[in-house]
Amino acid sequence: MITLGLQEKNTLLAEVNQRSGANVLECYQCGKCVSTCPVSQYMDFPPREIIQLVKLGQRNEVYMANSTWFCLTCSACSGRCPRQIEIPAVMEAIRHLAIEENYVNDSTKVKEIRKFHEIFLDMIKRYGRNYELRMMAEFNIRTRNLFKDMHLAPKALLKGKIPLGVKPMKSAKAIRRMYQLAEKLEKKHQ
Amino acid sequence: MARVGVFVCFCGANIADFVDVPKVVEEAKRIREVKFAIDYKYMCSDPGQQQIRDAITQYRLTSIVVAACSPRMHEKTFRKALSDAGMNPYLLEVANIREHSSWVHQKDKKAATEKASDLVRMAVAKSIANEQLHEISVPVTKRALVIGGGIAGIQAALDIADARIPVVLVEKSPSIGGKMAQLDETFPTLDCSQCILTPKMVDVASHPYIELIPYAEVLELEGFVGNYKAKIRKKASYVNFKTCTGCGTCWQKCPVKVPNEYNMGIDKRKAIYTPFPQAVPNKPVIDAAHCTMLTKGKCGICAKVCEKGSIDYKMQDEIIEREIGAVVVATGYDLWDPKPYEEYGVGRFKDIITSLEFERMVSANGPTNGVPVRPSDGKVPKNVVFIKCIGSRDEAKGIEYCSKICCMYTTKHTILLHHKVHDSHAYVFYMDIRAAGKGYEEFVKKAQVDTAATYLRGRVSKIYKKGDKLIVRGEDAQIGQVVEVVADLVVLATAVIPPKDNPDLARLLGVSYDKYGYMSEAHPKLRPVETAKAGIFLAGCTQAPKDIPDTVAQASACAAKVCGIFSGDTMKKDPMISTVNNEYCTGCQNCVKVCPYGAIVTEEVPMGHGSKEMRTVAKINEGVCQGCGSCVAVCRSMAISLAGFTDLQIINEIVSI
Repeated sequence: MITLGLQEKNTLLAEVNQRSGANVLECYQCGKCVSTCPVSQYMDFPPREIIQLVKLGQRNEVYMANSTWFCLTCSACSGRCPRQIEIPAVMEAIRHLAIEENYVNDSTKVKEIRKFHEIFLDMIKRYGRNYELRMMAEFNIRTRNLFKDMHLAPKALLKGKIPLGVKPMKSAKAIRRMYQLAEKLEKKHQ
Repeated sequence: MARVGVFVCFCGANIADFVDVPKVVEEAKRIREVKFAIDYKYMCSDPGQQQIRDAITQYRLTSIVVAACSPRMHEKTFRKALSDAGMNPYLLEVANIREHSSWVHQKDKKAATEKASDLVRMAVAKSIANEQLHEISVPVTKRALVIGGGIAGIQAALDIADARIPVVLVEKSPSIGGKMAQLDETFPTLDCSQCILTPKMVDVASHPYIELIPYAEVLELEGFVGNYKAKIRKKASYVNFKTCTGCGTCWQKCPVKVPNEYNMGIDKRKAIYTPFPQAVPNKPVIDAAHCTMLTKGKCGICAKVCEKGSIDYKMQDEIIEREIGAVVVATGYDLWDPKPYEEYGVGRFKDIITSLEFERMVSANGPTNGVPVRPSDGKVPKNVVFIKCIGSRDEAKGIEYCSKICCMYTTKHTILLHHKVHDSHAYVFYMDIRAAGKGYEEFVKKAQVDTAATYLRGRVSKIYKKGDKLIVRGEDAQIGQVVEVVADLVVLATAVIPPKDNPDLARLLGVSYDKYGYMSEAHPKLRPVETAKAGIFLAGCTQAPKDIPDTVAQASACAAKVCGIFSGDTMKKDPMISTVNNEYCTGCQNCVKVCPYGAIVTEEVPMGHGSKEMRTVAKINEGVCQGCGSCVAVCRSMAISLAGFTDLQIINEIVSI
C-alpha cells in the first residue's frame, strides 16, 4: 500500500524531471508506451506505471524496479508517445539517481545488466570503440558463466561479426580525456 | 373514383434490408384504386419528393400513400410536397413500414414484407376516405413566461425581450442569479462568475420588456400554445419593494441569525436579508420561518429603524394572473445529499465538505474571504482530496447517470486551490475524466501539468480519522495498488439532481418528465429544447445536467423558438381535431371527463328547430384540442368525430386486411 500526503514536496518528481529534461506530469496514462515497448513484459513496472510511481513520489519502488535496467533505450515509446515524453531519458535519469543514492537491485539479471554497462564503458575508454571479443570474454568471466552463448561464436566468427583484433580509434585519446573530465565533474558534484 | 398513388421508401438499408420493397410495390399495384406505385431509395429527399409531385399531376391522383418511416419523422415533409403540387396536404397517409415493420421484424423478411404490404393496404383504404382539411388559425398572446431566474432564465428572458416581446420572469428566491451567482470562477477560462453574470442580472431588472417577479412561484397554467393563462403566487416579502431603497439598516440591526443558504450555511445571515450583496432586486425580504416578530410577535426592530416605513408585517401572499403565449422552463438543479456515503464518514467528519461549499470558500465574496479552511479548526488545508462521482454513476447509492459538470469543476477547484494556497497539493480520485468541450481537455492538462494535481484512478473505499487528519483510502488503478492519502480536507463532487419540485411543476405545466425528475424534451436530437406540449420550452439543467455554455446556448435556442411562435398575430394549427355533431350528442359529458387538455366544455342548444327548450351538448375548443381522440372513444352516441381519423377511415382500414 502506498501512503501519500506525508511528504512536504514530491522531491523524486522534481529530480527526475530536472535530470531527464522531460515533464512526467504530462503523462495521461494511456499506456501506448507499454504496448510499444519490446521488453515491457519482463519489467516489474512497465514505463506507464514507472511514470505514475514517480508522480506519486514512490522513490523505493521506482529505484528498485528492474524496468529502468531492462529499458533498451530504443526510443520506440517516446517516438509514439502522444504527449511527447522522452521516456528513455526518464529511465536513464532514474538509473543515475538510483546509483547515486545507493539503491541496489539484487536480482541476477539486473546485476548482469549493470556489469554489461560497466564493461562496455570500459571498452570505450580503452579503445575508443567496442572490442566485441574482449567484451564477450570479460562479461562471461565476470558473470561466472564461461560458456554463455558460446554456441553462437563459430557462426559469428565465420561471418566476421566478431573481429579477432581491435584497432583503436584515432580519437581514443580524446575520448579518454572526456572520461577523465566526466569523472572529475562527478567528484565535484559529490 | 379515388385514384391513389403509393410511394414506398427504401430508407437506405433501414427498410430495404428487412422488407422486400419491390414486392410491396407489386402488391400495392394490385389494389383497384391504386393508379401508380413506385419505390425509391430516399423518398424524403428532393428527387423522391419530386416523384410524388410529378405523379400527382401526371396520374391525376386524389390521395397519396407514402410507405416509409414514422409520420412523426416526415409527415410534414410529405404534406408540403403535396401542397407544392397543388394538392390538399391532408390527403396524405403515411404507412409506417420502418418502425412498425422492418425494425421490429429483422429476423423474418417474409413476414416483415407481408406486414408492410398490409400496412400499405390499410393506408390506401384509409386515404380513400380522406377529406380536404385546412389549417386552423388561433390568436396569439405575445408575452412569454420564464420560470426560473438562473443563468438559463436570465439569458432566455433577455433574448426574448431584446426581440421586443414582453417577458414575465418568475424566480422563487428573493434574487435572480441562481447557482451561477454562487460560483467563484468558471471553467475553462477562469472567468469571474460574478463579473459575467451580474451585468446580465442588472439588464434583466432594467429591461423595459421584462417584468421581474422575484420571490414567487407559478401555481397554475391553463390554456394552450399562444393562449396560456398563468397564476403566480407572490410570496409575502413583508417589505414594500416600491418604497424600500435597499439601504441595509434593517438587516444590520436584525438580531436573529440564520444559516446563510447562499454561503452553503458556512456563515450566518439575518432573518431580514438579501441573499447576497449583488442581489437583483437589491431589496430585502423577511424570512417568515425565523423572524421573531412573525413567529412570536416580539421584536419589530426592522420596522423601527426603517426610515421609509417599508416594513409591513401584515403583508399576505398575493396571487396574480398573466396572459402569456409561451413558456420557458429554467428551474435549474439541486445537488445530491451525500449522506448515504457512510463509509466516508459524511456527517461524522467535519472536514468533509461538498464542492459547492468549497466553491463558496474560495470565492472572493465568500464567507472566508477566498481562503479555504478546515471547518473543524479553521486551519488552511495543505493536502486536499477531491472525490468525483459522489452519487453520480452509482446505482447503489445515488443515480445512474453522469452529472457531466463535476469533472470540469473539480479540475477548476484544483487550480483554484493552487491559486489560493500555493504550497497545497490536490489529489483527485476519479473514475474517468470527461472533458468534452471547447478548451476542456486543455484545462485538465493545465491542472495536471501546471498545478501538478495528482490524479488517482479509483473510487474511494473509505475515509477514517487519524489525529486531526483524514485518511482517504482508495485504489490507484493506474498502478494497481491501494493508496492512502493523508488529507487535511476532503471535497465531494456531489451529483447534479433535478429540483425536488420539478415533477410537480411538470405536472402543473402538462409536460412529461423522466424517472429522475428532469423534464423531457420532445426529441433528444432534433427537438432538444421543445417539450411535447406546444409552446413550452426547456432551458438548462431542468432538462438534464449541463454546464454554463450549454445552458446559455439552450436558453437562446428557447428564445428563438418563442420568437418563432410570436412571429405572427395568429398561429397555424393542425386541423386534426374533434368536432361534435349536436344532433347525436346526448350531453352525457363523458368526453369532458376524459379530455386530458380540458378542451371540452358544454353549451346549451335548443331542443329542436325553433324550440325554446334547451339541452346540454358538448363543445370543443378548437384552440385547445390536440386531436388525441379520447373523446371519440368514450362517446356513446358516436357524436364526436376526429378530423383525419373519422369512423369511416378507421373502418376502411380494418376492412382492408
